[in-house]
Amino acid sequence: MIRGALAIFNRDFKKFLSNPFVVIMTLMMPIMYLVIFGNAMGGTISHIPVAVVQEGPPYTPTTLFTDMSYELNHITQKDDPKLIDVRSYNDETAAKEDLTKGRVSAVVVVPSDISNDHAVRLYVDSSDSVTPALVESAVMKVLAKLHADNPVIVNKIYGDIKYIQFFGVGVIMMAIFTSTMFGGGIALIRDREAGIHEGYLVTPVQRTSIIAGIISSGTIRAFIAGFAIFFIDILITGIVIYSIEQFLLAMLVILIACVGVTSLVVSFASRFSAQQEYASVVAFLNLVLFMTSGAFYPVIGMPDWLRWVTVINPEYYGVDALRGIILRGQGIDVIGIDLVALLLFSGAMFILGIATYRRTLE
Amino acid sequence: MTSHDSGHEVIRIDHLVKVFKNKHKSVTAVDDVSFSVARGEIFGLLGPNGAGKSTLIRILTTLLSPTSGTAVLDQYDIIKQPEKVRSIIGVCPQNSTLDMELTAYDNLDFYGKLVDVPEDILDKRIWELLEMTGLSDRAYMRAGTFSGGMRRKLEIVRAFIHRPLILFLDEPTIGLDPEARREVWQQIEELNREETTIILTTHYMEEAEKLCNRIAFIDRGRLIALDTLENLKKMVPEGDLITIGLDATDDRILPLIRANPLVSAAEINNSVLTLSAKEGSRVLPALVTLIEQYSLPMNSISIHSPSLEDIFIYLTGSALGADSGDAGGVKGGRRFP
Repeated sequence: MIRGALAIFNRDFKKFLSNPFVVIMTLMMPIMYLVIFGNAMGGTISHIPVAVVQEGPPYTPTTLFTDMSYELNHITQKDDPKLIDVRSYNDETAAKEDLTKGRVSAVVVVPSDISNDHAVRLYVDSSDSVTPALVESAVMKVLAKLHADNPVIVNKIYGDIKYIQFFGVGVIMMAIFTSTMFGGGIALIRDREAGIHEGYLVTPVQRTSIIAGIISSGTIRAFIAGFAIFFIDILITGIVIYSIEQFLLAMLVILIACVGVTSLVVSFASRFSAQQEYASVVAFLNLVLFMTSGAFYPVIGMPDWLRWVTVINPEYYGVDALRGIILRGQGIDVIGIDLVALLLFSGAMFILGIATYRRTLE
Repeated sequence: MTSHDSGHEVIRIDHLVKVFKNKHKSVTAVDDVSFSVARGEIFGLLGPNGAGKSTLIRILTTLLSPTSGTAVLDQYDIIKQPEKVRSIIGVCPQNSTLDMELTAYDNLDFYGKLVDVPEDILDKRIWELLEMTGLSDRAYMRAGTFSGGMRRKLEIVRAFIHRPLILFLDEPTIGLDPEARREVWQQIEELNREETTIILTTHYMEEAEKLCNRIAFIDRGRLIALDTLENLKKMVPEGDLITIGLDATDDRILPLIRANPLVSAAEINNSVLTLSAKEGSRVLPALVTLIEQYSLPMNSISIHSPSLEDIFIYLTGSALGADSGDAGGVKGGRRFP
């Protein structure tokens, strides 16, 4: 019995050691969890862009306006990064416009001298789960420091958004990525493992056709997963879709995100010859890309080096566009840039997939 | 055997070399091989396991690139125009490449589309091929449920779904029972009548003898001989092979046997007397008389004209059944079947 157990142990361990790639990946996973999860979730939020504007008319800056701008701009935290970057606006309408476009996270409207209630009105982007509370408490603190007794009226421009709604949109992207672990390019690898690719490599079928075919099939599989989660989001998290245009736009974004994510994993699958390697890489990518996509926690809370990952992260653009449509009711004018980024990314990955696909057995 | 010797070359192989390298050693799988194949031929590549037959086929079918040298199929160079080459060939590889999760029909349909069989005739063609393999009633069953023979037949017909100009069959009948093997042979001959050139690798002698117009012997990557069966037979010492199994031996008989003018060679190995003689049937009575004079009991006598296997052994010193590389690995039982 011992001998049998040893034989099984030996065989298994030899296989493990003969595949250094998987060994490294096994170690990398927890390390990445530590580094990325730790930083993405626990990072100090700093440099929140906030518009401060003087209510008018008259537009002459009051003392309160000047003092508040200064104080808000100089709130420091424990290890020193500034909490808020104040941008002064002359025009309330322009400030609010920038808030809806996502260029600033909040607008603080300081009352004019002739205001009736002397209320400081705060407009916050409630589709963001973290910053509104931070900005609100900062404003309160500053008012207290200035001994001003102005009441604060908080205006959530997208209404009350629960965390599950914020997170639910991110999960759509996760569903898309997860489906590529079993779909995506795995068929190519299974063919290689079984040796049946030798059969079709001798036919005139082109590399482009092989990659395009696999991406299309993977995209549809991922789309079904993404759509299912979208539907569940509507049913259980209470997000509301107001128009057919909004619905169709969300579908379009999900579809394009599927193309992007599938192209990414296929570009890996086109080279790998073992499912184990593929699975470990996809799981790893899933972790990195999902953590940095802003699905859990706003990207603004991440350290700078991690924020760079989001620039090339298709999930970030997917999550951003979907939040724009679903939570903020934004249109193609605002989220168009995300779609362009996703399409560029997909194109690059498609080309990479073709370039790395081996048309021979070597 | 039919001859389609129209004189046109359909394959020209030019100093092809393939070296596989890894950290520890390099292996020359194909060693400076050159030959051509005529249009309409059934051409046999014979050699033991590991001789380099499959590597050669893989180079010709663009799956591997040669280390040096090249080959031209029809008018297309395998290195410069691999896409063109792929459009004129059909291949049945040695290992099964059927998709076990697809049905027989879907397997053929998939390949039909990849090799560009026109959509309007594809369905008819598939049923024709299924009919040919006797799998019509299993068309919608997964290939994974088929027996080894059924899979092999399906794979072979898949290779010529588009009626290719050149058909490569790498060990087409390996693992088939005699009945199924005969059916495959019939199919191959039928295809050949449709002017398809067929390149066949095998290590079954009778297969090559039955089907091939010309035969190339490959051993350790090298081309050892290439000719028609008749001409190959002339390469071994003339005459028939006689094998006599003895229970006891006597060294004195060997010189006496060799003295016979019709006997060209004779030796005794492990109590088996083997000799080649010009007219075996005329030598035999004298031989038997001689052995009886020395009261050596005989347990078997056979006489036959040399087979391909004998020729191969004569040329390489090892049997086809042996793996290439273990020199002199002659398996006693297989030497003179």
